[in-house]
Amino acid sequence: MMIVRELYAYREMIFSLVRRDLVGKYKKSILGFLWTFVEPLLQLCVYTFVFTVIMPMKNIDNFYLHLFVALIPWNFFATCLGGACTSVVDQQDMVKKIYFPREVLPIAYVTSQFVNMVLSFIVVFIVIVIAGVGISLKAVLWMPLVMLLQYIICQGIVLLTSSITVYFRDMQQILSVLSLALMYAAPVIYSVDMVPEEIRSAYMMNPMAVVIVAYRDILYYRKVPDVNDLLLGFVAGSLMLLIGYNTFAHLKKRFVEEL
Amino acid sequence: MQKENAIEVKEVKKTFRLYKDKGNSLKEKILFKERNDYEVRTILKGISFDVRKGEAIGLIGHNGCGKSTTLKLLTKIIYPDSGTIEISGRVSSLLELGAGFHPDMSGRDNIYINASIFGLTRREIDERVDEIIEFSELGHYIDSPVRTYSSGMYMRLAFSVAINVNADVLLIDEILAVGDLNFQTKCLKKLQQIKKEGATIVIVSHSMEQIETICDRCIWLNGGKIEEDGLPGYVHRKYLEFMGDYSFAESAAPDKKELCEGEAAAESGIDVLEEARKRFERRGSGDVWIDKVYCTDAKGTEKKVFLTGEDMHINISYVVNCPAEVCIYIGILRMDYMLCYGTDSYSEEKKLFKLDHSGILKLYFPKLELLPSQYMIDIHLTDKEGNEIDMYNEAAIFQVYFQTKETGMFKMTHQWIEKQH
Repeated sequence: MMIVRELYAYREMIFSLVRRDLVGKYKKSILGFLWTFVEPLLQLCVYTFVFTVIMPMKNIDNFYLHLFVALIPWNFFATCLGGACTSVVDQQDMVKKIYFPREVLPIAYVTSQFVNMVLSFIVVFIVIVIAGVGISLKAVLWMPLVMLLQYIICQGIVLLTSSITVYFRDMQQILSVLSLALMYAAPVIYSVDMVPEEIRSAYMMNPMAVVIVAYRDILYYRKVPDVNDLLLGFVAGSLMLLIGYNTFAHLKKRFVEEL
Repeated sequence: MQKENAIEVKEVKKTFRLYKDKGNSLKEKILFKERNDYEVRTILKGISFDVRKGEAIGLIGHNGCGKSTTLKLLTKIIYPDSGTIEISGRVSSLLELGAGFHPDMSGRDNIYINASIFGLTRREIDERVDEIIEFSELGHYIDSPVRTYSSGMYMRLAFSVAINVNADVLLIDEILAVGDLNFQTKCLKKLQQIKKEGATIVIVSHSMEQIETICDRCIWLNGGKIEEDGLPGYVHRKYLEFMGDYSFAESAAPDKKELCEGEAAAESGIDVLEEARKRFERRGSGDVWIDKVYCTDAKGTEKKVFLTGEDMHINISYVVNCPAEVCIYIGILRMDYMLCYGTDSYSEEKKLFKLDHSGILKLYFPKLELLPSQYMIDIHLTDKEGNEIDMYNEAAIFQVYFQTKETGMFKMTHQWIEKQH
């Protein structure tokens, strides 16, 4: 509980780092902050072209939308898996010279990526409306819960990977390969219905799959996500957070000597 | 923890792993197992001390003694192997200036980032931001991106944030090399003010002058243990006396020099100067060659550290290659190359030394009038017409200490006279 109080005291540091990350990233570019919206739009254009002109998916209506509502949250997972492991190593000058709760660094990283995703969802909503699919308000009300689950999972992953990377730099390469592979462990480019019935329950043990399925239910099928799946997702997610936190707490003591 | 204490350090021990050749990747870990060999080096062998609230202490010691490690432990960026450290209140450290600065953001934005790393809340920063800007003397530049700043402006901004955090405990490592002389004076004044307001200060420095102006107490660390703990003046004298002996021992066995990880590899001022001296060009005909210059006290013992008012002999041992009549010039310079005193035997007393055989020449100062600082000696040998025989600059160095707080270059003979009407 000490750490919660301490992190609360350092809340301004988390905010500033998030702000620095979001604002500082586009500081010298012409489009600036607009890039946050342009990026997912460009991605959408590419996928629409590929899946309507080159290899049309006949059995799923509006496949580009089917993909897009899953791709935006997956991008968040992918950066947390692939890039976030260096969140402590990259700030080593700060870590070596100043005391602050080390957890601030992974938390700020995940939070700024999270904000990025939330902003991208604005684009998703606009596209859904323009495509004429429509939005179910009752389903959308579940969004914050799904986002919370996703945030917890990512935080768990990043606490774990960023602390291990300090001692073991190969982690970075391993994870960037892994994040490519893991994309297929969640129903991002395919539909969850394609997963064989027999292994479906095992498949849904993966909390990332739960999250992607829930987003798609809400935004594409316009229905309330499966509550049982979500509950299981929360259990698995909390477990990941616990493991991540404990590993970090144990490893952080010798960060400075290893960096 | 006792109420009147701000810092309590109990029996703290710390060892570092010194890797022979550190590999962090999988390949290196498996293939080069021997590279992961490390040597465990003990830096702190169990130190304990308390610092009262509002007290200012200085930590001194030669490189590798563990003073920077101690400061890092206090900052909580490293953890002790055993023992405990307790600190009450907010800690601010002037170890890393400008942490988290983003070059493309304005000075003002960076104040917010930097101050938040010290654990300030938004409201607390809002309260201080004007004071910080004023202190930094950046004026309207504050809204320009930090990348457009000169390095001096950058450091001034960073320092202003760190010093205006209003910490209960302020930890400082080798400060006040920031900005011009005016800004340095301002920083010193600010530190005095912070101290008056009741903050606890811990300073690591090689500058005894700084420690003596700010601190009430000084701790001298040697080989991971506390050697002396007391009034700065007293501890410094003990330290300088020790360092005098130490540098001799060191020059006799240069391989034994130990520098630990985490301590700056920078040599003390004395060693750097000896390096400079070696590089110094020697000129002259070489008829008479100066072999060695050294200082001795009244008993004839070789020394490098003298007390103001003590007897000092400057000894010049020379080798004669070709008998000559020489005039000797001796100059004493402060480390900043300010000439303090210079004289030569010919213009003073029309005295020329007829040197036929190798030997030693001496210049005797019955009561050394120099005040504390480091000094170096220039020796020039010329003939009657002023032709150079051996020009030996920075031939030796010595240090002076004194108990009183008199400042300047010389102890001038004086007397206080009181007359009341």
